[in-house]
Amino acid sequence: MVNRRAFMKSGAMALFAAGIGGVPGFVARAADSRKIISPYKKGKVLVCIFQRGAMDGLMAVSPYSDPNLKTLRPTLYMSPAQTEGKMIDLDGRFALHPSLQSFAPFFTEGRMAVVHGVGSPNNTRSHFDAQDYMESGTPFSKSTSSGWLNRAVGLMGHDATPFRAVSLTSALPRSLYGDNEALAINNLQDFAIQMRGNPLASNLASKSFEQLYDQTSNQILNKAGKESFDALKMLNVNNIKNYQPVSGVVYPNSPLGNSLKQIAILIKMNIGLEVAFAESGGWDTHFNQGTLNGALARNLKDFSDSIAAFWKDMDAYQDDVTVMTMTEFGRTAHQNGTGGTDHGRASCLFVLGNDVQGGKVYNNMKTLAREDLEDNRDLPVSTDFRSVFSAVANGHLKINNNQKLFPTWEGQSLGVMKA
Amino acid sequence: MNWQRMIKTFTAGAVLTVLSAFVQGNYSSPMPKISLPYKKMGLTQEQAAAHLLSRFSFGATPGQVKAVADMGVEKWLEQQLEGKLPDDEVNRRLAGYDALALNNQAIVNTYLNAGQVVRVAAKNNLLDKDSIKSLDKPEYRQQLRQLMDQQGFKPQQELQRQLINQKIIRAAYGQNQLQELLTDFWFNHFNVSLTKGQCQQYVMTYERDAIRPHVFDNFETLLEATAKHPAMLEYLDNATSVSNDNDMARRQQNNAYLKAMRQRMDTMAEDTSAAGKILQQTLKARKTQGLNENYAREIMELHTLGVDGGYTQKDVTEVARALTGWSVAPLYKEGPGMKLMEAAGGVNNLVKRGFVIEGDFMFRADKHDENAKTILGRIFPANGGYQEGMEVLHMLANHPSTARFICTKLATRFVADTPSAVLVSKMSDAYLKTGGNIRAVLVTMVNSPEFWDNKALREKVKSPFEFAISTIRATNADIQQPFQIYNWVTRMGQRFYFYQAPTGFPDRASYWINTGSLLNRMNFGLAFATEKIPGVKLNLAALNDNHEPESAEAALMVYSKLLLPERNLDENIRRLTAMVRDVNLEQKINEAADKTAAPDASMANMTSQDEMMETGRPARGKKGNQNAALSKKNLPLTTLYVAGNVNTVSQVTGIIIGSPEFQRK
Repeated sequence: MVNRRAFMKSGAMALFAAGIGGVPGFVARAADSRKIISPYKKGKVLVCIFQRGAMDGLMAVSPYSDPNLKTLRPTLYMSPAQTEGKMIDLDGRFALHPSLQSFAPFFTEGRMAVVHGVGSPNNTRSHFDAQDYMESGTPFSKSTSSGWLNRAVGLMGHDATPFRAVSLTSALPRSLYGDNEALAINNLQDFAIQMRGNPLASNLASKSFEQLYDQTSNQILNKAGKESFDALKMLNVNNIKNYQPVSGVVYPNSPLGNSLKQIAILIKMNIGLEVAFAESGGWDTHFNQGTLNGALARNLKDFSDSIAAFWKDMDAYQDDVTVMTMTEFGRTAHQNGTGGTDHGRASCLFVLGNDVQGGKVYNNMKTLAREDLEDNRDLPVSTDFRSVFSAVANGHLKINNNQKLFPTWEGQSLGVMKA
Repeated sequence: MNWQRMIKTFTAGAVLTVLSAFVQGNYSSPMPKISLPYKKMGLTQEQAAAHLLSRFSFGATPGQVKAVADMGVEKWLEQQLEGKLPDDEVNRRLAGYDALALNNQAIVNTYLNAGQVVRVAAKNNLLDKDSIKSLDKPEYRQQLRQLMDQQGFKPQQELQRQLINQKIIRAAYGQNQLQELLTDFWFNHFNVSLTKGQCQQYVMTYERDAIRPHVFDNFETLLEATAKHPAMLEYLDNATSVSNDNDMARRQQNNAYLKAMRQRMDTMAEDTSAAGKILQQTLKARKTQGLNENYAREIMELHTLGVDGGYTQKDVTEVARALTGWSVAPLYKEGPGMKLMEAAGGVNNLVKRGFVIEGDFMFRADKHDENAKTILGRIFPANGGYQEGMEVLHMLANHPSTARFICTKLATRFVADTPSAVLVSKMSDAYLKTGGNIRAVLVTMVNSPEFWDNKALREKVKSPFEFAISTIRATNADIQQPFQIYNWVTRMGQRFYFYQAPTGFPDRASYWINTGSLLNRMNFGLAFATEKIPGVKLNLAALNDNHEPESAEAALMVYSKLLLPERNLDENIRRLTAMVRDVNLEQKINEAADKTAAPDASMANMTSQDEMMETGRPARGKKGNQNAALSKKNLPLTTLYVAGNVNTVSQVTGIIIGSPEFQRK
């Protein structure tokens, strides 16, 4: 079987190599016609979105039919029954927050699964520690040097490419720490050697660097240099500047919207992206989280609209892409004295893709009665986050080594993906 | 209430004296004499000076290789190992940095963390339950900022800015280069992180008090200083690791006085004000706390023995138990800890009850597990108290696994990514003979032929920070806005002080060098040399005694030698000469630039952001002040906006800085 790397090496890169410095002619032509060049064949891509700050899973996907909820949250309770801003009923037990309206069709079409009661076996309620554990994938060990997504990339075992693992953040997230090359970049347009307004100078500098890195005796510098210039030619900034999403798709002009848009560009360029990472902030709703309008509602709307725009923009690529969201923990079952919720235990997450066994709220949750809560206050973790992460990695990325992906974990993967 | 000064008198002085006598009495091996075998390894004085400067400093300044060769490399090394050269330039540049001299108590009460800000807001009724004000709303932020200003509070990002800038200034302009290099090394070894809210406020004093003064001391001193510093206690959660399995807790049940005290606390907690609520939460949280093994695990795995150092999970738990009660003294005036301490009768009372308070460190006798422990085969009898933890540190610091682990790490940093076993074993011997004396280990390292071996020369790749600082030093640049350099270092892959994991940054070329980071290094070189990084002031002509090179070729020759002293540059120059040979190049470039140059809004925006950074004021009109200093939006773009003239010298210099040879050390 000719895999896409073999194709890259023999085909496209040879063409790149033939270009004498600068941008190869056919790339320039492709840029002119706004077509995007495709040196790789399509491959599977996992897009992970970390909701930093701990999303209130009980309000995002509310177990509204549980009578305890209204008692615990007198002013934060919402349901599909209310006349104004009613929730979107999923199955008679759970309902989506109205700001997650964009998710409703995905759920109905069976492409989106919700997993509820998800979290870490480590009961820390510190954002830092919980994020650290979730991203390293080892909930009781701080010194795990790699992140689970970096290990995932390694386990897929494909050739290293500059764009195999990309995070749309200024610094590499914990999830991507590790031995496999991963790129953190805020803005793809930065990926260039360019003196804007001075093309000759930048061209000269670029050629000079290419020559120098080509000759260096230091192997690491030599190899990375080569890859950098190959990558530069592949990722022509003009393609990014002029990028047009599928007609009718409008990404929210928010950090998450912009991140997902750039991930879409990378996917459509077919440059070997396998794991993409984006973040969304502002979920730590201790104060006045609101119901129909408010901090949480605004955040949920941006979150779901961004993901929905991305999904529609994926268009012909939808079969290859799975989106998974995650958050470090959930929030207290009861509301606090300042109209918000405090740090709790379990939350919920969303998995979207054509490989997903969707249309269902997966859960092992009991009731919200006091005796069923952890420490009498929090929705307990009834699904280990690793059973979802591993299921997605197994089902979508075809990784079948959960011992390496999640060392020391012996649990079972959840059947959230199509067999 | 200035109780902090007061408590100085209550430190467990006697105990410490006994311990240090024990430590000193055990080891009397003399410091090895400096004797550098570079001649034997075929190096000239100049080559030796260049190599030593590339490893024991952040890079040579113009002319420094010759100067060090002239004074004698041994002499220079001696001075560096002393770390006592006057640092006028650093002091001058740090003159306006008012936070750097503060103690933790002052910091905690001035540079409030997010939780404290909320408390202040709650206390002043800014968080009105009935309104829909939210933390995200501009008007709320505006009010909050006003309130903070009025009450004399300052934003945390200002503290972070000063911390970050001082590191850049010390590394670039400091005379005591080795000390600063080791500060970087040991900080990374005992990593703490600004990403963790609980330890943010303490990171500056951590580096200043727990790391920098001890970089040449015995390893044990360093270990103890980090173990007791609030930054580490919070970062790895030992501050919250407690046991109720002790006599004091039991007595509290029966003792009338203690019962009354407990009651006073409970009454305070019933207070329905915002402050009362917070106290309530704290008390509740404390009740649910228990043993936390994070620090115990990492002190063995990462700080001392190493992962294969021969300890078990059982040892981890036992060390954690030995360190229960090692905590942070209350520092925040409005904080619940302070109130609880008052309720408990103040410092005097606590010390009488077996508490140990040293500066910001507090051993909470009432939270210490008093039972016997067995650690690495040694039995620690019951009721060991505070002293038990000290003995654990002593044992770990002087363990043969620790010697090997620490020496491997030092050799990796200073010699090669995979140092030879022979070298490491020589260093380990010195470590064990001197009771972990860091100076002795370093001298043993440079006295070894392995350090000067041809294979070791130019073998290491500079970290992004080293790369940026070596650029500043090699060009004698004046950096007026250090934070701009930080932004670039971040984009090259080293957001220092923000590395999340306790492992610290990996120290190997393959970690630092990848596609994105390498392009950023090249772009940094270009941006720096053409002075497109705000606040970078260069005088490249002065480096060449104000002689202007007659051609691009001449510029290449001259500046290659200036920036890369004692390197073989023939191939570099041969390759590049072909590129720059075009006599009309400069003119063509500038003509092309004139045609296409356009005023760039993002550039202007960048500058104003930097001015903001320099004054330390929060961004105006931006989305709140939270992390304005460090927000992604403020990072300069990698793509360069070079409008206007680019002269050949700066262009050539930029290429040399971005070249592979300059990445090596």
